[in-house]
Amino acid sequence: MSRFLNFDTLSLHAGQVVDPEFGARATPIYQTTSYVFPDTDTASSIFNLERGGHAYSRITNPTVGVLEQRIAALEGGSAAVCTASGMAATFCAITAILGQGDHIVASTQMYGGNISLMKNTLPRFGITTTFVDPTDTDGFRAAIQDNTKLIYGELIGNPGLDILDLEAIARIGADSQVPVMIDATFNTPYLCRCFDYGANVTVHSVTKWMGGHGTAIGGAVVDGGNFDWGATDKFPTITEPYAPFSGINLWEEFGPSAFATRIRAEAMRDIGPSMSPMNAFLLLQGIETLSLRMDKHLSNTMILLDYLSSHEQVSWVNHPSLPAHSSHELAKKYLPKGAGSIISFGVKGGRAAGKAFIENVELASHLANVGDAKTLVIHPATTTHSRIDADALVAAGITEDMVRLSVGLEDVADIKADFENGFRAAKRISKG
Amino acid sequence: MGFRTRQIHAGVTPDPMTGAILTPIYQTTTYVQPSVDEYLSKGFTYSRSGNPTVKALELKLTDLEGGVDCACFGTGMSAVLATMLAFLEAGKHAIVSDVAYGGTYRLSTKILSRFGIDYTFADTSNAAAVAAAVRDNTALILTETPANPTMKCSDIAAISEIAKKAGAVHAVDNTFLTPYYQRPFELGADISIHSTTKYMDGHNATVGGAVISNSEEHATAVRFIQNSTGTIMSPQVAWLTLQGCKTLSVRMDAQSASAMAIAEFLEAHPKVAQVAYPGLKSFAQHELSSKQASGYGAMLWFEVKGGLVAGKQLMDNIELWSLAENLGSVESLITHPVTMTHADVEKAERDRVGIIDGLVRVSVGLEDTEDLIKALSDALDQV
Repeated sequence: MSRFLNFDTLSLHAGQVVDPEFGARATPIYQTTSYVFPDTDTASSIFNLERGGHAYSRITNPTVGVLEQRIAALEGGSAAVCTASGMAATFCAITAILGQGDHIVASTQMYGGNISLMKNTLPRFGITTTFVDPTDTDGFRAAIQDNTKLIYGELIGNPGLDILDLEAIARIGADSQVPVMIDATFNTPYLCRCFDYGANVTVHSVTKWMGGHGTAIGGAVVDGGNFDWGATDKFPTITEPYAPFSGINLWEEFGPSAFATRIRAEAMRDIGPSMSPMNAFLLLQGIETLSLRMDKHLSNTMILLDYLSSHEQVSWVNHPSLPAHSSHELAKKYLPKGAGSIISFGVKGGRAAGKAFIENVELASHLANVGDAKTLVIHPATTTHSRIDADALVAAGITEDMVRLSVGLEDVADIKADFENGFRAAKRISKG
Repeated sequence: MGFRTRQIHAGVTPDPMTGAILTPIYQTTTYVQPSVDEYLSKGFTYSRSGNPTVKALELKLTDLEGGVDCACFGTGMSAVLATMLAFLEAGKHAIVSDVAYGGTYRLSTKILSRFGIDYTFADTSNAAAVAAAVRDNTALILTETPANPTMKCSDIAAISEIAKKAGAVHAVDNTFLTPYYQRPFELGADISIHSTTKYMDGHNATVGGAVISNSEEHATAVRFIQNSTGTIMSPQVAWLTLQGCKTLSVRMDAQSASAMAIAEFLEAHPKVAQVAYPGLKSFAQHELSSKQASGYGAMLWFEVKGGLVAGKQLMDNIELWSLAENLGSVESLITHPVTMTHADVEKAERDRVGIIDGLVRVSVGLEDTEDLIKALSDALDQV
């Protein structure tokens, strides 16, 4: 099977060994808490990380394991750990290597939950963050401190859609001996394999395009296997003996997957944000059609960009595929297939008109998710980004008239017809 | 081994590859064969014909009933259908309990009768009436004991004897008591049928059915129908039912104890005209029930004085008890068979078999007995 390495083939087969007992073609759903050990020696070697194997589904589960291997293969990483949500993935990835007194340099344009984690939660444990405009690459270099241990950003920023200059950021990371962690949710490995451009870790909310059907919450951390943790003494959680496992040195024992192993040994064991086997099964189903869905998401996006750009009720349209977008050249470089299926646009008439639009579309669902097969719309200022203050709102590029659109797979003529109703209502409101 | 041990362990062995203590959910359509020559060597080809998760449930139910094989189905009705299709054909005759579940009556009179199968609806609570209904071409006797909703009981041993003499198969719908309380094979029956939706699942989570056979010959006939008609159970349903079965005896004991207390409460209540519960001394077939089963179950019916109008008043006002179809779950349910479960049975037929207009059927759940009684008492006060 390792002879077949192309993306669509991997999205169907990677990680799955056909069930040896019955030959079941689909991955069985191991909805079980624990595993009967054949003998005590096997049990103790599984507990000591001396051999692979399953002990308890908080740590590993065979169904979740197939998903982990599949995502790692698609991303071109050394290993992956799946988690109960995308936020759990981010939290586990950061806390695997950072602790009290450490520092992050992060993009200002990120999902509100990521910003809140770094701005409100991590400081309570002594981890601070300097936020930098993602278009200001030099600003990332300038923000690096002696105690900086992580550069973090979203390849396609949320919701401004500015693209990180990943190669330049990776160079800064390499020069500073700091890993670069990218939230790759909006691009998925189909649009950009971030490790090819020097990123060291990716995190995903697989709830979104990876799963693609709005059925299961989940996250993933992928270890790029390309960071030299031993080059400095900055990363003792990876390079120093780990007491709970008889003083094992993860860097020596696991090399390119040492980071993922740390998450498995610590976060999954002591914190426990495990993905359920049923969710893993649903997400595996979703990944089987990832490229087909992404192609259709992207073609619908291009058609809607044309439609919105020429619509009289639209004051502005933002998407990196538009030549006017400041990240257009970066989008062409890193995302040649297309720069994702999120569009933001302004409805003429400001806040009230934006609200009227959202309340009068019918096919497009008003909800706080993206990457569903169904078209979704939301008003970020009052929902996803409502818990961050006014200054941060401006910094994140959010205006009060902004509608964020996650383009779905419906017939695009129907999406347009639906939007016409929304725009008519917005027009009535703005005329007073 | 005892029932409680078997309800947990029968049919389930730790997954040989991972040790997973629970049977995985094999949500798969097909099975990769090692080679042409080894086709079927691992036991499965296509999930209509067999599925490892469904198989685990089938093994468990076979063990609990003490039979030789079990075939699971998408619903209890498809289990009844499979039994009829396995043992009947055009020109054959079946004797069916005249108080069988309304769906069984509908299946017989409205569907299978179109294919040249002849039915007699007999009062199976009277074995002599069954003997009298036997014809040369009788191939199947289908009883349901206790019956839904009249609670009439059929003498399994006596009817099995009649069936044997007639060369007919005796199938018993054992849904109300489950093998924990009643094991038809020990009394001579050939087939045990279940709506696993009821006590086997127990949590209102799934619909499913099962046919357990007590001989290889009958098992083969039922399996053939299962595969060729495709009315199968899904792996997800089988998995949930496997979990439900683990607490079957504990739920049955607790729910039956509550049912006994509720039956006694209702029997003593001035606004209640009559109560039917096999555990009551006043129940006409109390002796038969005590003889052929080790428990009385958690189903009963009563009639409020004032008939249909009073019964409706009670059901519209009652709290805690849900006005809902289904039975056997941990949630207590209350139903009006005449307008709900048995609406398809003609009024003349209902009256003849004792499904009177004012009959209120209750399925006693797992809530605290005193809460259930208080809710009934409050509702009766409002009648």
